[in-house]
Amino acid sequence: MDKTIKDFKKFFIDQGFEAIETDYDQRGYHLEIVLNESQVRKFAKTAYEHGFYLVFVAGFHVRPEPENDTGNSGLKVVYQFARYDRKYRIKARASVPKSLKIPTISDIYQGADWHERETRDLYGIIFSGHPNLKPLLLSELDADFHPLLKEEEKLKSLNEVSWPSESQENTE
Amino acid sequence: MLESEYQEQNRFFLNMGPQHPSTHGVLLIVLEMNGEYVIDPQPVLGFIHRMHEKMGESRPCPGFMPNTARMDYVCALPYNHGYVSLIERKTGIEVPKRAEYIRVITSELNRIASHLLWLGAYLLDLGAFTPILYGFDDREHILDILESVTGSRLTYCYYRFGGVYKDIDEKFVEATRAFIKRLRKRYVIYEKLVTKNIIFIKRTENIGIVSPDMALRYGMTGPNLRGSGIAYDIRKNEPYSVYPEFDFEIPVGKQGDCLDRYMVRVREIEQSLRIIEQALDRLPEGPVRSKVPKNIKLSPGDCNFAVEAARGELSYYLVGDGTSTPYRLKVRVPSYSNLSCLPELGRGILLPDLVSILGSFDLVIPEMDR
Repeated sequence: MDKTIKDFKKFFIDQGFEAIETDYDQRGYHLEIVLNESQVRKFAKTAYEHGFYLVFVAGFHVRPEPENDTGNSGLKVVYQFARYDRKYRIKARASVPKSLKIPTISDIYQGADWHERETRDLYGIIFSGHPNLKPLLLSELDADFHPLLKEEEKLKSLNEVSWPSESQENTE
Repeated sequence: MLESEYQEQNRFFLNMGPQHPSTHGVLLIVLEMNGEYVIDPQPVLGFIHRMHEKMGESRPCPGFMPNTARMDYVCALPYNHGYVSLIERKTGIEVPKRAEYIRVITSELNRIASHLLWLGAYLLDLGAFTPILYGFDDREHILDILESVTGSRLTYCYYRFGGVYKDIDEKFVEATRAFIKRLRKRYVIYEKLVTKNIIFIKRTENIGIVSPDMALRYGMTGPNLRGSGIAYDIRKNEPYSVYPEFDFEIPVGKQGDCLDRYMVRVREIEQSLRIIEQALDRLPEGPVRSKVPKNIKLSPGDCNFAVEAARGELSYYLVGDGTSTPYRLKVRVPSYSNLSCLPELGRGILLPDLVSILGSFDLVIPEMDR
C-alpha cells in the first residue's frame, strides 16, 4: 500500500483511466482523473479498495461542446478523494450525458448519498441507482429549480476555465 | 393479541426537531420508532439553507469573506483561514510570517472556544446543567480576547488576502498567556465534574461506536474520526500555514464511541494551548499584510484548499475563469459528511442513546445547510 503518487498515476492509467499529475502547491491536489460516465463506478471501487475516502461530490456547469455528437450536456460531476494516512488528494471529473444521468456511487461510498442528493438539487443531475434521490437542501416544492445552473450568457467553455496546460492537452 | 400485531401497534413516527433542544439548530430528524427503540432515523436538512455557493459565484472574491464566518459560526476563523488561503494559493499572494502566526494563534483560540461550547452543550443534552456554565465562563475569556483584535465576538471577518486586518498588541499577548494559565488550572475542575462522573460515563461508553471502515465509507473527519483511532488531521497530514513549525500531538481514541469522541476533544484543547504557547514565544516581528492588487484576478483553472476546522476537514474548491468572480465555488463542510452516517449508526438503538450520539458529533447546523 506504500504507493507514491507516481505509482498511483501509473496504476490508474493501467486500469484504463485518464490520469494527469498536477502541481500540488498550485492546485491543492495531486492527480486529476478524467472519467467517462461508464468508468465512474469502477473508479470509485478502485479508490475505495485503496483506502481513499470521499471528500465531496459536486456539480459543475460549462458550455457543451457543439461538435460533440455523443450528446454532452455541459454538466460535469467533480469527485474528490483523499487518504487518511498519506498526503494524497485526487480530483476526478466525469461528463454527464444529455440524459443527465450518471451512475451513483452511493452504494460504494455511503457518504456520497447526501452529496449526490445535493448535486441533484443544485444542478438537476440524476444519479441513476440512487436509493433515495429526494431533495435534501432545497424544498420539495422546488424540485425542478436548480440554482447553480448558469445562464446562457454566463456560460464558459471548459477550456476557458481550465489550467492552460490542460487545455492544450485537450486540443491535441 | 398476536405478538406481531402488538409490535405493529408499538410502531410510530417521531419528529425530533426542528426545535428540539439537543439538535442545536434547526435540524429535523424523522424517527421511525418501535417503543423506545429507533428503527430508522432520517435527518432532514435545509431549514437554514442560504446558498452560500451561489453567493460566492456571483460577486468578486473578496465579497465572500463575511459569508465564510456564517457557515460554522461557532468556529469561524478556520473558515476565514481556508478561504483566504485558497485565494492566496490561486493568485500566488505572499503572506508575511507574522500574519501566519497571528492566524494560527487566533484560529486555535477559536478552536478551543468551539470545543468548550460543545463540551457544555453536550453535557446539557445528557442532562448535566452545571458544566455549560463553566464552559461558557472560560469561553467568554476567549471571546473577549478575540473581540479586542477582530472587532467581533462570533462571526469574525478578520483575515484578509495577504495577511490579517489588524496587528496584535502586547495586551493581546498578555491576555492570551493569562488565559492559557487559567484554562490549565480548570482542567482539574472539568475532570472532577465531568470526565470521572459515573452517569456521564454510563451515557457515553460503548454508545454509538463508529468503526474505521464506517468512517471511511462516510468520509468522516475531525475529532469524530480521530475518536475511532485514525490519526488524521489536516494540520499534520496536509500541513498548511505555519503549522509544521509547531510541536503538537494528534489525540486519538480507541474504539470510536461517544466517550472517545469526548476525550479526543478534551485532549485537543491542551494541544491547541501548546500551539498557541509556541506561537506566542516565537512570534516574529514585521508587517501583517502584504501588498495585494486592488482587483484580484482568478486565473483560469481549479484549485482546492483544505484546512482543519474544529469539526473536521473543510475544503474550498474554486474554479477561476480569468475574472475576479469565481466561476465555481464549492464548500465541503465537515458536519455534513459526519452526520450522514446517522441512519446506519442509529439503527436499533434507544432514543436516549441517539441524543448522546447526536451531541457527540458536535453538529453545527448552519454549516451543514450552508
